[in-house]
Formats: sequence, C-alpha cells, structure tokens
Amino acid sequence: MKYLMSNAKNKVVVHLLLLCFLCLMFHRPVSAQQISLSITPPILELVIKPGKSVMIAYQVSNQGDPVILTAKLVSFEPRDNFGKIRLKDGIEGPIRFELDNSDIQLERPFFLKTGASQQLLLRIRAPEGAANGDYYYTLLAETTPVDNIDGTAGPKTKASIGSNILVTVTDSGVIDIRPKVVLFEVINKLKMFNQKIKIFDSFDKIPLVLIVENKGKNLIKPEGKISLIGNFGERIDYPIIPKNILSESQRLVEASSSANPLEQRETSYSTVFSGFFIGQYRVTTEINFGESSPTLFAKTSFFAFPFKLAAVLFLTVGLIVFIVGRFFAPDSKEQQ
Amino acid sequence: MKRVILSIAFVVAFLILITPITAIDMESSRFKIESANTSSAAGNKASTNYKLSDTIGQVAAGEFSSTGYVVKAGFQYINSVIPFRFTISNTNISLGNLVPNTPSTATTTLTIYFGSAGQYQVTAIEQGPLKTLSGNSIPDTACDGGANTCSESSAKTWSSSSAYGFGYNMSGNDIPVDFSNSTYYRPFPDTTAAESPAIVMSSNNVGSNRQSTMTFKSNISPIQPAGNYQTIINFVATPSF
Repeated sequence: MKYLMSNAKNKVVVHLLLLCFLCLMFHRPVSAQQISLSITPPILELVIKPGKSVMIAYQVSNQGDPVILTAKLVSFEPRDNFGKIRLKDGIEGPIRFELDNSDIQLERPFFLKTGASQQLLLRIRAPEGAANGDYYYTLLAETTPVDNIDGTAGPKTKASIGSNILVTVTDSGVIDIRPKVVLFEVINKLKMFNQKIKIFDSFDKIPLVLIVENKGKNLIKPEGKISLIGNFGERIDYPIIPKNILSESQRLVEASSSANPLEQRETSYSTVFSGFFIGQYRVTTEINFGESSPTLFAKTSFFAFPFKLAAVLFLTVGLIVFIVGRFFAPDSKEQQ
Repeated sequence: MKRVILSIAFVVAFLILITPITAIDMESSRFKIESANTSSAAGNKASTNYKLSDTIGQVAAGEFSSTGYVVKAGFQYINSVIPFRFTISNTNISLGNLVPNTPSTATTTLTIYFGSAGQYQVTAIEQGPLKTLSGNSIPDTACDGGANTCSESSAKTWSSSSAYGFGYNMSGNDIPVDFSNSTYYRPFPDTTAAESPAIVMSSNNVGSNRQSTMTFKSNISPIQPAGNYQTIINFVATPSF
C-alpha cells in the first residue's frame, strides 16, 4: 500500500516537472503591443465637376498586433513652405465622402487582425452647386488605444496614418493657374553693410532657394529646370521635382541634380551646387505648369574665387620670404 | 523493372516532399522589396478615350480621365514599391511606480517607411495632461526653468530632480534639431488647451526605415497625490502633397 502511494506521488511530481519543462520550453514570448499600419495610395488628386462622384479603393494593412481601426476624414491646410500640413478637426467644404463597403462605415470602428489588409472603397462626391475651387482632405485610419493592464502610470498611444486627397472642383474644366516667383537667389550667410553678398569661395557649396507662390484658386504642379551657366557657356540643368503647390500658398520648389528624386537633399534649399567654381556664374530657371500654362523665368548670379586657397598661398609665400630673409640673407656686418 | 520502380518511387517522394513555394521579401545589402509587389505596369498608356499613367506598386496608382473627372493616385514622380507605413513599437508606455524627486522614463520607437510618399511628417499631441480618474494631474514640464524653460516647440535641458512634470525627448532620424542631446525635453502640446500638434519627425527626402526613439519622462513632487496617472498621446503620420 505504501509502495502504491509513493508511486502515485512520484507520478504526480514527474508530470508536474514535465508540464513546467514544456511551459518553459515552448512558451511564446510576451512582447509589447505594437502598431504597424500602411496605406496606399499615399495621395490622390481629383479634378471633378459638380454633380459627379468617383470611387477610390484604398488599402489599409496591419503588420503589427491586431487593432481596432476607425476610418475618418479631416480637412488640412499647408503648414509652411516645405510641404508640411496642419490637420483640422473636421471636414470643411462641400465635398461629401462615404464608404461603399457593405460592412464598414466612416467614423465606425472595425477590426483588423495581424497581417490583414482592408480595402476601403471611398466614394467622393462633389454635389451640384459646389463652388469652384480646391478642397484638401486627409483620410485617416486611426487606432483605438488599449488600457494599461498593469495599473502603472504612463501614457497610452494612439496612432493614425493618413493619405491626402486634393480635390479640384471645376464646372468648365478650366484650372486657375496664377503662379509667381517670390524668391530666387543663392544663399550666403556672409553679409556686408547689412547686405547679402553673392560672393563665395570656389570650394563652397552654394545653396539656392526658389519659392513659387500660387495665387490661383487651384493647385499647380511646377515643371521645368534650374540651369547653372558658367563663364564659358558651360551649363548644367537641374530638373524641377513636380511637387504640388496648393492654392493661395507658397512652396519651396526643389530641383534634383541627377533627376533622381530619391537622392538625399538639403531640406531647406531648392538645390545645392557643389564643385570648384571660379568667376561669375548665372543661374536661371524656367518653370511651366502644364499645357497652355504661362512659363515663368527668373535669374540670379554669383561670383566665386578661391579666397581660402589664395590666402593660404599668400601666407605660405609670406612665410617663406620671411624665413629666407631672416635666416639665409647675407649678414650685413660680415660683409662690412 | 527495378529501375522503373525506383523511378516511380523517386517521383512520388519528390511530389510528397516538395516544399511549397511562398512569396518572400526580396533583399540584399543594398535594397529590400517589401511585400514583393513587383507589378511591371508602370508607364503611360493611352487610347482615344483615355490616358492612364501609373507608378509601380500602388493599388490605385494611375491617372485617367473620362467625362466629368480626372483622378491621379500616387506621386507620379516617384517609382517606389515601399508603401507608406508607420510603426510604434510599444503602445502602452509604463513609467512604473512614480517616486517623488526620482525621474522615471520609458521609451517607444517610431518607424516610418515612405518610399512612395515623397516626404512625410509625424505629429504628436496629448489628450490632456497625465491625470487620475479623480482629477489629480501631473503638469506638463517646463524643464529646468529660468533660461532652460522649454515649450511645445523648443526643447531645453531637464535634469534637475526638483523640476517636476511630464515631457518627452527625441533621438534618431528626422527629429527636430532642438533635441540636442538626451537631457533636452519638451512638453507635449495639449488638445484640451487648443494647442497644435508638434512635429516630432519629418523629412523631405524619400527613404525607408527612418527610426527615432521617443523617451517619455515624468518627475513628481513629494506632495503629488498617489494614483494611476494616464493620458493618451496621439501620433499622426501623413505624407506630403
């Protein structure tokens, strides 16, 4: 009887040990809740007549932990000259939005599991009588924050990912294009008599700023080039990257030295000229905004000279003359 | 006969043991194609009734015109398959049990992929200060005060153990320049105070895997009532236009 009891106890212990071993070996690590959302397309440009509607398919994907999302729209406006935006609290303007999905509505939460995608069929409608002009919106997919489970202090995070929608309402199809170059100049931090000087050292990088103002009621897209022309007519063209300039706003127009928008650029300049410069250089730009649009011209210039190199040479020569004069000149006393 | 049997056995074994072919991310030391969406449809197409131009790898990318509307989807000057993606590594930030005059910190990592988006920004705003259900709150930090008084748009040094509040520091890619080092903090803008969200990451350059670390910090005074202090930080990632 004693033996049987002992045997049963051993069995229980062995089973418990086995269970612990399995739990320790095959448990799934607990990780922090992660959000990872993507949205395509990232931007939509729509030119539409009043009374028409269009349906656009967006794809929202979840590569993080399961989330509860809400799709919603807000208006936005440009925040600065560099393409940043400021979201507003709600929708402004006459444009109407709804989802054509049978099971999802705007402003209503829906569930998206890990690795899943949800197509959002967004219907955009310009009602009859909608005033001509531009209206800018952002489609947001917004997560619902989950409560802290451990009861400690700290913030919860909510994430939204957005895609911008630029709507131009026009009943005639005519786009209001009224651009103006407000700034086109090379930037030198040196000042003389409180005036900016356009003189650089030959080895300096020379930043250029081109800001275009859109005085029209519709967005415009600059195309064209910035040209650097040297003393002997040598010329380098920098194609302009066609980024939108929203209505009644200004934007820094960027140009790429290699026509490759993927290259890294200085963020506050249109482009930066680098190389060895000597003499006077002209910089010109020609910008158009599509077929039958006006072409804008602007020009500036700068002068480059190897000041640093000349200074080093001057000092070196001066030093050599001094050393030679001091140590190798014939002693006047000895000559006497 | 033996050879026939062996051949059949070989074929059967091959069919049974063959591993399924699955889609994988394509990458090398120089590139990575996420989602392997390699449709080669980019380019311009036209007929008498329409003109379509699209960029590779976007679901609705394209431009078409018909009676009454013209649609362009995606940035026409960028051919990238990297979708606009935003990741937060940790959604529940635990500052632990707060001890008076002992700063407590916690971090989360923000990551942006924006190959197809041209440029981007990430903003942050709090929905009120850290507070308990009973209404006690930890004020937003002013950093060390005096010359080191920070604001929603300007980071300053916060290293004094007698400077109380709640704020954040940023380090990594595409962060505001005023976060000079790990001692520089800002308070979050507050929706309840009608403040505008602060840009915590932004870039004009197309890229992927841009990563920054946000460090949350709180320091409480000895007279701070005990409780479970919470708020919500709202991050919004948007491309440009």
